[in-house]
Amino acid sequence: MGRKSYSIERKQAKWGLIFTIPCLVFFAVFSFYPIINALLTSFTNRRAIARTSEFVGFENYVYIFTKDNGGFPLSNSIRATLIFTIGTFIPMIIASLIIATFLMQLRKDKYRGFFQLMYYTPAVLSSVVAAAIWMIIFDPRGLMNQISNFVMRTSGVDYNWLVDSTMLQISTMMIYFWKYIGYFVILFITGLASIPSTIYEAATVDGSSRWHTFWKITLPLLKPTTAMVSIMAMLQCLKTFSTQYMLYQGGSSRFPIDVITMNIYFTGIRNGRLGRASAMSIVLFLIMLIFTYIQLRLTRSSEDVEY
Amino acid sequence: MRKALVLLLSLMMAVSIFAAGAGEGGSNDQIVIEFWTHEDVNRQALEDRYIQEFMESHPNVTVNVTRQASTKLIELVQTAFAAGEGPTMFNLSSRDVDAYSVGGRVAPMDYGAAGYTDAQSVKDAYLDGMIDPVTYDGEVYGLPLELTNWCIFINKKVFRDAGLDPETDYPRTWEDMVELSEKLVIRDGDILVRRGYDFRYPYYLETLVPMVEQLGGQLVSDDGTEAIVGEEAWVKVLQFMQDWGPNGLNLGSPTYTNARSLFNRDNNDIAMATTGLYQEARIKADNPEFYDSGEWMVVPFPVFEDAVNDVAACYYGHYYMVNADADEATQKAAWELIAYMLSHGEEYLTEVQLIQPTKELMESEAYRNMPYSEVFLGDFERGHVVYYGAASAEFQAQLRNAVEAVMLQGVTPQQAYSDLKANCQEILDENS
Repeated sequence: MGRKSYSIERKQAKWGLIFTIPCLVFFAVFSFYPIINALLTSFTNRRAIARTSEFVGFENYVYIFTKDNGGFPLSNSIRATLIFTIGTFIPMIIASLIIATFLMQLRKDKYRGFFQLMYYTPAVLSSVVAAAIWMIIFDPRGLMNQISNFVMRTSGVDYNWLVDSTMLQISTMMIYFWKYIGYFVILFITGLASIPSTIYEAATVDGSSRWHTFWKITLPLLKPTTAMVSIMAMLQCLKTFSTQYMLYQGGSSRFPIDVITMNIYFTGIRNGRLGRASAMSIVLFLIMLIFTYIQLRLTRSSEDVEY
Repeated sequence: MRKALVLLLSLMMAVSIFAAGAGEGGSNDQIVIEFWTHEDVNRQALEDRYIQEFMESHPNVTVNVTRQASTKLIELVQTAFAAGEGPTMFNLSSRDVDAYSVGGRVAPMDYGAAGYTDAQSVKDAYLDGMIDPVTYDGEVYGLPLELTNWCIFINKKVFRDAGLDPETDYPRTWEDMVELSEKLVIRDGDILVRRGYDFRYPYYLETLVPMVEQLGGQLVSDDGTEAIVGEEAWVKVLQFMQDWGPNGLNLGSPTYTNARSLFNRDNNDIAMATTGLYQEARIKADNPEFYDSGEWMVVPFPVFEDAVNDVAACYYGHYYMVNADADEATQKAAWELIAYMLSHGEEYLTEVQLIQPTKELMESEAYRNMPYSEVFLGDFERGHVVYYGAASAEFQAQLRNAVEAVMLQGVTPQQAYSDLKANCQEILDENS
């Protein structure tokens, strides 16, 4: 009777699989099931309170792409989401990279730790608290109008942070930027810390300036981190909800900031049209999938970096 | 290995789907009532006591109470029912209850357990029309915890500060309201430091619809087939709101702190607010000095000068209802609990100024002794119950969009009316 022999790789793979089982269970319950359920629901006319629903084929998809949806068409939501995503994630990536680079220049760890903590603190605040803080700041009598009047050398001008359509969109971007930049700074710091110091030492010996070192060494070696952070930031921005929702709750108009998730929420939860809301969520899922694929393709070469 | 991984993933998905679809099973003699209600600090103390007393007299019953903000509760209850996990009993506003009884998600009243003989005996005990929102196919599906109608609260000090006499100069018409607000308002440039009055955003079914009705318009036609009736009335009210807002006379805006919350503080930042009798208990709790000073008063809901109907703000109720999916014993216990809590109507009124709209209470000495109860009673008679059709929540959202469009986004009242009409008609058609 021959003994079955396993290679080291196969043994490692077996243990790897065992260790990933809890994660797979988690994803099966909390990700796969909702996605499949949403897909199936999107082909029905299911309402929140009704006990029964009927199969309606692609009716919900046709509706969301051709109808007004009670004054809040999906096309407007796609516009609002894209404007928010572009207006937030690109500045956030650039700013978090710059801040992380500056923080890495600090010689004492305690100073770096202090600033990391300061930048990260908003990320751990609940959205409700964050919104409450910003509602006070954006109140017509609040800090933002006072600062704006000081900077613009005006007096008593209401810059309509929560009223004007453009200002309202800028306000949501500012809140989001403030809340999440610390998180991405930490990720960039982790990436920067993983670049071996010997490379910098060699560059210094060769007479490279700091500016030159940043562009020719830091940035290329940081490409995997940049790719990961940009994908994460973009996906997070595409899924934004609480910032817009809180401003709406505070009395602002919904239309200019009616991002896709907010439209899904109002269609499904407020108006109880679960079939229609599920169709919107599948559209959002596809948008995120396409953007992620494009971004992965654009940054594919980043995986080739070796020290 | 790859095959094993695919197999495992498929298995996980199948398990998750079956696990999520599995129903509840098993029962025992112990009854558990999951009771979801809206937050009200003043009311909570009373209800906690009633529930404790009920559990002591019913040792086999456990009541778990969950409290949420009233707007949040609407969504939570709906989401829970959509997932098949609704609470045993809950309360919602009259504009949100219809879908539950029509959809068969709540149980008809157990009349015996609630202390009645039949549906007619319930209707006889309450003011006319109060049980209508929870009546379907001749059966009653809920009991009102509170009746609320809104009048205008006035801070007399702010009036006098502006050189006005609150007893004689208070607003009778919406045109008065504009004129008075112009005198009462204090601005720092464009920024409002003190407002004369501001609306009860975004409760437009309760406050905006009666303004339209004063001018002869309607939310829904009498035969229930047409939405947003009376173009002239709607356009005039939307024009009024545009003139009121930051792009018009700049007298108020939904983006300022709501007037009702500021009123209690007596900080010279608001003179008038729209709110109900319950506000008296809140003023007393938040600012007893102001409450005792007598520097506040209540006046009726205004009308337009050229009004064709004398209509006050719509009144609404919060109704207790019981989940139809609960077993019979649990439903019975829930109705007993509701009846027990509602048997303390006079205490609800005197302690927290909540009105249970029973004929007995409304005719009682206790109600007549409440400050300004005659104003609320007068407006109750001038008003009608808020629209409570299946589309009421969507109508509320549409009205908000229309008002915000004219006040904040500069859309013309005519355009906002056209959009409102088209959207509400589509909603009405879909729900009919």
